[in-house]
Amino acid sequence: MPIHTILMIEDDRFIGEMYVRSLKKAGYDVTWMVDGNDGLIAARNKTYDVILMDVMLPERRGNDILEALRGKEDLIPKSKVIVLTNFEQDDESRMAMEKHADGYLIKAEITPSKLIDIIAQLDKTE
Amino acid sequence: MKKSSGLAHDFWPRFRTGAILIVLGVELLILLLTAAVLLYFEIFENNLLLAIAILVGQAVLGILSTTIIMLYAVQPTKHLLAAIIHISGEPTNLTPPNPNDPRYANNGFKEVLQTLYELDSRRQNIDAPTSAGPAVVPTTDPLRLALDTTDCGFVVMDHTRHITYANRAAPVNIGEDGKGSLQLIFNGQDNLASWLDECDKTAVHSEKTWSRVPDRLPDAEGRRFFDVIVSYNKGATAETVIALVDRTKLYEIGEGELDFIAFAAHELRGPITVIRGYVDVLQGELEQYLQPDQKELFHRLTVSANRLSGYVNNILNTSRYDRRHLVLHLSEQTMLSIYNLISDDMALRASAQNRLLNVNIPTDLPTIAADPSSLSEVMGNLIDNAIKYSNEGGSIFVKAEPKGDMVEFSVTDQGIGMPSNVIGNLFQKFYRSHRSRETVAGTGIGLYVSKGIVESHGGTISVRSEEGRGSTFMVDIPTYASVAEKLKAGDNNTGLIDQGRGWIKNHSMYRS
Repeated sequence: MPIHTILMIEDDRFIGEMYVRSLKKAGYDVTWMVDGNDGLIAARNKTYDVILMDVMLPERRGNDILEALRGKEDLIPKSKVIVLTNFEQDDESRMAMEKHADGYLIKAEITPSKLIDIIAQLDKTE
Repeated sequence: MKKSSGLAHDFWPRFRTGAILIVLGVELLILLLTAAVLLYFEIFENNLLLAIAILVGQAVLGILSTTIIMLYAVQPTKHLLAAIIHISGEPTNLTPPNPNDPRYANNGFKEVLQTLYELDSRRQNIDAPTSAGPAVVPTTDPLRLALDTTDCGFVVMDHTRHITYANRAAPVNIGEDGKGSLQLIFNGQDNLASWLDECDKTAVHSEKTWSRVPDRLPDAEGRRFFDVIVSYNKGATAETVIALVDRTKLYEIGEGELDFIAFAAHELRGPITVIRGYVDVLQGELEQYLQPDQKELFHRLTVSANRLSGYVNNILNTSRYDRRHLVLHLSEQTMLSIYNLISDDMALRASAQNRLLNVNIPTDLPTIAADPSSLSEVMGNLIDNAIKYSNEGGSIFVKAEPKGDMVEFSVTDQGIGMPSNVIGNLFQKFYRSHRSRETVAGTGIGLYVSKGIVESHGGTISVRSEEGRGSTFMVDIPTYASVAEKLKAGDNNTGLIDQGRGWIKNHSMYRS
């Protein structure tokens, strides 16, 4: 099934709006959550094709969300997770997140069009 | 008074030549005398062949005895001289003789050398007024007690670099074989082992200090930091004495700075993300309405935002490297695939600043063991410099080619170049040449951190430059084939290669 629905958990308004705008223009159905708790609840309630997740989030950090979703058992087997962060994590935390994620990107290193390319690539590897 | 300007090592060639000439001369004289006697008394008149045989035999014996004489009489002189030359501090490429050499132990020369070296250390003690002897000579027990009470570590090693003494505070690991090993994490090539190698070759007495050396990896429980002071005395029972001053309290504060830098980078990257993102979005959406000069302005915006983000990475990497936090994930890569990570950005950067970028990276080069994002940052730094230090309209050549067990990536510009006195300092932190300070923007961490990254790959970075003609920076990275075994053997606890992701835990940064 091709990727269509995207859940984005991102607290920065400018960055969030920018990605939502571009992803919608590219034809995706985007749900945007601003804090970590709401993000986790949304991810549990509905199956998304892709989850874009920040690390430094209010209420609940990205690594905790990922741990809750994929730590003990995989609650989201049908979703792809891309960690999108600008925070330079220490190596251990980063590796821990990479273990449970399908991608790990530094936001400052990519543009919205690059992000769309990457999602399209995930689609191909499906 | 006229002072002789001769050096001690000038004596050796003269002495050797003299010795050889005298001995050979005497041999020849004896040979001639024998021949004369044989002829005069007509002893072998009827058997000329026997006479010649005797003479030849004598000549052979002569050569043999010359060799033995040289070995026993002249060789010790050479070694004595070498020791004296080293003590005097004269420049030399002679190896100072090691008293622990087994041949010296047998013939008693060991004692001679030890006496000589001890005399020298006594002289040095007198020279240094601060190192006054203790008022009371302590017996062993109180001394040991005191050493075990202090927070400073003391370690003594013999000439085979086995630890013969370590006090309680010393960061020493006792292995299964009962042998201790020093637990210190040096940064790259500048480590104790390589310094001792150097001492073995060239020094009699030497001392060196390293600061901020941790004993464990970041985040390990009870991690300590030391300033390490090492003294080396060739041939002494305690050849290497290491004093470790525990500076954990002082440097721990610095460790917090990494957090600060990580948070600062996070704050900087937020706006960069938005600028880069919207420039990209706007350029795409406005493409058909933009005039050529307006498109050029967009290119400049993109290039500037990209450079900003590269610069944040340089800061982060420098901070990590300085604190031994830089860990690379080496995996099998090609130069081309790594360059492709930044190729678009570089092409735009060059064209926006009116430089011609010529890239020639063949597809069939051997694979290398590399961390893609770090190595691409190095490439970006070198190309950035080539743009900065060359002239408008100039060409920049980016090349890769095999070189033994390495693949060499090089960046050549036809810019202003550098005088040789600048090159020596080029890879130092915050170094900016006098001229570049005035004319070119920058901070002087790009090459410093590039060197750190390249050396952490087990590679080398070097430069060739001619003033007014341009510079070439060369980065040599080991081929994957040459290090694959080492990478697989380097780490036992994680299985090292996680096939799914191709991560390889690299410990080259953590060699002690």
